[in-house]
Amino acid sequence: MPSDGPARDSPTPPPATVGAAARLAIDGLAALGELGEEIDDEWQYIEDLVDAWRTRLEAVEDARGEEALAAARGVAVARIVDEAGLIADPHRAIDWLSTLPQVALVALGERP
Amino acid sequence: MRFQDAAPDARAIVYAGIQADPLVARAGELLAHASLEQRILARAVMNGETTEADAWRAMFPTLFGADAEAASREISEGILAAALSVAERGEQVRSQFRGAIVESLTERLLRAGEPGRPAAAIRRERRILFDGVPAEIHPYDVTVEVDGAAVALDCKWGARGISADVLHQLDDARRHAADDDERLGVVLVVFDAARSCAVRLDRQTAPHDQTRVIAIEDLDELASPSGAAR
Repeated sequence: MPSDGPARDSPTPPPATVGAAARLAIDGLAALGELGEEIDDEWQYIEDLVDAWRTRLEAVEDARGEEALAAARGVAVARIVDEAGLIADPHRAIDWLSTLPQVALVALGERP
Repeated sequence: MRFQDAAPDARAIVYAGIQADPLVARAGELLAHASLEQRILARAVMNGETTEADAWRAMFPTLFGADAEAASREISEGILAAALSVAERGEQVRSQFRGAIVESLTERLLRAGEPGRPAAAIRRERRILFDGVPAEIHPYDVTVEVDGAAVALDCKWGARGISADVLHQLDDARRHAADDDERLGVVLVVFDAARSCAVRLDRQTAPHDQTRVIAIEDLDELASPSGAAR
């Protein structure tokens, strides 16, 4: 049943730079990967997916790391990472391995 | 090669009810005119846990912030409302709605690409029969039934839906058509990022070099003339 969870009571502080936002998304991605790996049959896919999206986010971190981030965009990345943190089902975590980076990249003004 | 309605088994009857739900049509219509960012919004909300509209607005400041154009914001609000209506359903029903919405979107984009084409040229839930070949159990989600430019499309909500079975069925149909001296384009429409689709396909050994994959970034290709048949 969809609901608000703990993250809403203790929201992640919004990042102030593009680099910090990318790192936050990478950390969220890693957490989803750990949850998704409970599905043994998809272990390799999850490894590959995490790696592919981490590489994309790290490219943004490297290219724009020190760039200041507008407050609303920082909030957007923090909130999507919080939303991903609400996911408890490993199957849904696999879906979110693709969803989280897409939304984070959009918030950073990047094409997924 | 000939097309045929799928036999209405129990699964098909239940699923037909979902396909006919007005929410599916509304979401499909909104997404047919949406930007990539708006489509990503729909995907996130329908995948999400939170059902608070304001939480999602905060995650997409370029769609809902003060700088968003009024007309675009109106579309975004419509997509958000429709997506939340899906998200508020139980997990199994939500999953069925998401699949039906991708199919509806695909059909609408194909129709938009060639508005003069007869309505009967684009169909749903059809089998393709070839002489001397047992019919596949699963029908194709969408078919373009035009002489010389026929296409079979399967629709997936996420890249994880790309499986060996799906790839084999599409490629088998293409090969059987070629054996009959017919051309059948085969397409996978995936409401997910091209990057995730590429990752999924990378380790697939099932034949897919002749299968066109249209990811969320490229959906509008379906709405170009002969968009699916290229």
